[in-house]
Amino acid sequence: MSFPTQEEELALHERVLKRDPVAPTDVFQVFMDPILSALGRKEGREREDAYDSIIDVLFSYLANPERYLSQKGRLSTYLTQAAKKRLLDRYRSTEARQRREQEFGDAFELGARSPNDALEISVEARRAVVRLEQSALGEGDRALLGLVLQGERSTLVMAEAIGLASLPEDDRRREVKRHRDRLMKWLARLGKEDSDDES
Amino acid sequence: MTNPEWLERAARRSRSETWMLGHVFERYRELEGRTQEELAKELGCTPDVLHWLSLCRRPEGQDFDEQASAIAKRFAVDLVSLVQVLRHVEVMETLSRQVGNGDTLEEQPMQSAARDRTRDSENNS
Repeated sequence: MSFPTQEEELALHERVLKRDPVAPTDVFQVFMDPILSALGRKEGREREDAYDSIIDVLFSYLANPERYLSQKGRLSTYLTQAAKKRLLDRYRSTEARQRREQEFGDAFELGARSPNDALEISVEARRAVVRLEQSALGEGDRALLGLVLQGERSTLVMAEAIGLASLPEDDRRREVKRHRDRLMKWLARLGKEDSDDES
Repeated sequence: MTNPEWLERAARRSRSETWMLGHVFERYRELEGRTQEELAKELGCTPDVLHWLSLCRRPEGQDFDEQASAIAKRFAVDLVSLVQVLRHVEVMETLSRQVGNGDTLEEQPMQSAARDRTRDSENNS
């Protein structure tokens, strides 16, 4: 399959410019297969991508035929170059999408836990909450524990939870640390009792 | 006319171009609930010829009759049926634009002209 002569190309281009209603079918018939050959031997998915690229280029040309300037070169060259560029863009876009999906997949895989792990953690958390509710912890200690478990790092916020916000800064810092350490030890004991109960 | 493997793909793509006949056919099939085969039968052609027709530019403006005739002659389809499909979609698109713009649904010159043209075509055939 070969391209038409330059004269034939120009005649067809003139018809396209005049908005001849059947000229688009002739453009497809004349250019599709020669451009596909110019893009190289393609099979399967690559062939489909090549067809889609050529179709995009031909529709783009038919929508705006004035963009092609005949004095700058042949119509077949203009359309083939545009199709090559479109195909390259399509490959790059596919590669970028696949890379993004792979990166997302990796990140998701790293962050995800197996269903068994997730179930175990859920059961342990429920058991810990029950133990905490049954414990003799005071209201202030519970509030402080809640803040610690949520990752709170402000001494002032923790001091407010246990009613020590009015203390001078040094005293406040020391007292908050003392309460925090005491609670952590209590938690460790609770955890140990739990594991002893299971064994 | 032989049918290349890209024909159906190109015809499908033509639906997204409002200036293509493929777009008109798609709108008509949506409005009237027709299958490809039913529309082809209505136009008096095969589904393959319908794909080729889809790759034609949509007739419009002052040369509408001439353009529609050229298409009908080239692909040997029924001119009256083709014009009816084109005008039906044109009227519906005009109506939906008017409704979208908040205009009233009183008859507009475009609609009466479309109906007159269709009647003329029917009488002449």
